Amino acid sequence: MSAILRIPLSIRVPLLTALLMVALGVVASQQVLAALDRLQDARIREIARLHVETLSVALGPHVLRDDVWEVYDTLQRAAGEGEGRRMIFTAVADEDGRVIAATLPDRAPLDSSIAEISDGAQPPANLTVPSDEETLRLVAPLVYQGREVGQVVTELDVADLVAERRRAGRLLLLGNAVATGVLALLGYFLMRRMLRPITRLSQRMRDTSDQPEQVPETEIPRGDTELSRLVHTYNAMARTLVAKRDAERRLAERERFVSLGRLSSALAHEINNPLGGLLNAADTIREYADRPEVVRRSAELLTRGLNHLRDVSRAMLEQNRLDRSGAALSAEDFEDIHLLIGPEINRQAQRLSWKVEVTPTALEVLPAGPVRQSALNLLLNASAAAGRQGRVWFRVAPDRDHLHMMVADTGPGLSGSARTRLLSSGPVPPGGGVGLRLVHDLVEELGGVIQLDRRDGRTEIAVSLPLKGKEDPQC
Amino acid sequence: MRGAPRELRLGITPVFLDNDAEILTALRSALQEAAGQRVQFEQRRTYEEVTGMLLEGAIEAAWLCGYPFLQHRATLALMAVPLWHGKPMYQSYVIVREGDDAKSLADLRGGTHAFSDPNSNSGFLVTASDLALKGEKAEDFFRRTIFTYGHRNVVRAVADGLARSGSVDGYVWESLAALEPELAGRTRVVTRSEWLGFPPFCTRAGHLADPGVAALRKALLGLDRTEAGRHALGLLLLDGMTAGDVSLFDGIARRMRLLASLR
Repeated sequence: MSAILRIPLSIRVPLLTALLMVALGVVASQQVLAALDRLQDARIREIARLHVETLSVALGPHVLRDDVWEVYDTLQRAAGEGEGRRMIFTAVADEDGRVIAATLPDRAPLDSSIAEISDGAQPPANLTVPSDEETLRLVAPLVYQGREVGQVVTELDVADLVAERRRAGRLLLLGNAVATGVLALLGYFLMRRMLRPITRLSQRMRDTSDQPEQVPETEIPRGDTELSRLVHTYNAMARTLVAKRDAERRLAERERFVSLGRLSSALAHEINNPLGGLLNAADTIREYADRPEVVRRSAELLTRGLNHLRDVSRAMLEQNRLDRSGAALSAEDFEDIHLLIGPEINRQAQRLSWKVEVTPTALEVLPAGPVRQSALNLLLNASAAAGRQGRVWFRVAPDRDHLHMMVADTGPGLSGSARTRLLSSGPVPPGGGVGLRLVHDLVEELGGVIQLDRRDGRTEIAVSLPLKGKEDPQC
Repeated sequence: MRGAPRELRLGITPVFLDNDAEILTALRSALQEAAGQRVQFEQRRTYEEVTGMLLEGAIEAAWLCGYPFLQHRATLALMAVPLWHGKPMYQSYVIVREGDDAKSLADLRGGTHAFSDPNSNSGFLVTASDLALKGEKAEDFFRRTIFTYGHRNVVRAVADGLARSGSVDGYVWESLAALEPELAGRTRVVTRSEWLGFPPFCTRAGHLADPGVAALRKALLGLDRTEAGRHALGLLLLDGMTAGDVSLFDGIARRMRLLASLR
């Protein structure tokens, strides 16, 4: 049964159709053969009835008079004529069952008992054409002028009927086999043709599981059939799926820009704050140009400030550039993130506990872009959640197989919608949690898992990324 | 003076003549030609019927057997007696089926016997009188007797096994042996009787001078002198006709007396 179920529907249904055709052919043949049997039986009964009636009319008076010769002569003449040729042997007996005459006197001698040859003979009303024998023996009363005057036992030659039935059976079998074969083939190919859109659809679905492709108009079955509706529905689903992907992509882009936007205001302060000091240092240098120690001190201050500005701008450039490059993750990436989140932490007067314990080589298998974006988004969220003077934790520690990244905060915890964005692939509900869906998608792409925990007033988001390369879900 | 009938009616039976249309047509044509008158054959199944018709004047003449002729000797007259092998004589045979080892009539006791006609000399009287000579009656000697009303039928009955033995006209059996050897060959002659008077053509006594009867008699006696007559005689395997004499049938008369003595 399971072997049958393994056969594809596109073969199974046509095969079933062909099998049904064969079954139909077999049943039809049997019906026709049975009808032929009934017809032949009716015919032989009619022949037997006429035969007995004719003999009764011809023999009646002779049997009454016990006229042996006339009975014999009549039988001989009857045996030699027309339908009589069907008669192989006939014996006639008187009322007491003694043979008066037979067409073959040796088989039924005069005065012998008719019972000796009537054994196994059938009455005309019950006659059936045998399937394998070519003769039929029948016994019937000899009725003359309404009175039973004797008995007739007759053997009829039914070879022609048996042969006719065999011939009809053979022809029927052959004809039905051919017709059934043709119908079965026709049914098979028709069914295959009818199911072709489904075959194509399933093929298309299998081949383009990540990016569903619509069925071209030319391949859609004509008319408002179930199949055309199915294909139209599939096309609508494909269009919806593509639109959803596009929307999600746009959302991800937007979320990236949102996080960048939020960063940029903090970073503007980061750049703006030292600028006053740096301008002061420049003024000092101009004012005290003749005092070398003051100039040197101011120049050092200027250098430190400019260096910081350079680091900040570099980190921002990296953040944008790395999104598209395939650069490997390194410890410096976490330092960049530390630098980028610093101004936001300071602005909120928060305490950041930072602990990154990585060896440079351990991270190389991971791409820098997605990991940086994920870490930054989680930190921005934690910072936003923690609120003014809150606390934020960041831990990175690899083990043999995974890179474990943990972000915690003292905020009120994730809202339902934020939880959905971070933990599931379901539709994005409206409301809070900036960039969390992007984190979910990025981690999923990297084959990692996200766990959410809340205890002792702390919200902990743990991300584990496999270090053995991404586990390709398609393989 | 009795007016001549418009046609001459001749009674025949299948006892003697087979229903061979060719023979009857040839004989009829020959007689019509010679008699110059239309001849009508009246066929009946038994000698009794034909004899009855002749006696009551329904027919002018009949081809009878010597036995019925003698039974009505006082009222019948001989017209002509056929010549077979040049003699107006024939024999009666007792036959059995080929392969039956009976050697005499005595060996046939208890069997089924086929006679042709109870008024036939060769087909009944000879065997019955032979048995009478031994003090036996046919119906007791044989388990069963059947009448076939035809010498050819007797041969068929014996050949097919319907009857073990049969009494048959020797002339008919010999003719069948020549014309239908397949049929006669399936039988064997066990006994032959003495030579007896051949079945004659008869008319009512006192009517021999009737113009029609006289013309018919002349035609019969002159058959061997016309083309058509010889053709008919050829088909009948006969040589001709003779006027004959009642004494020809003395043998039959003797057997009649023998049979009567037993009854």
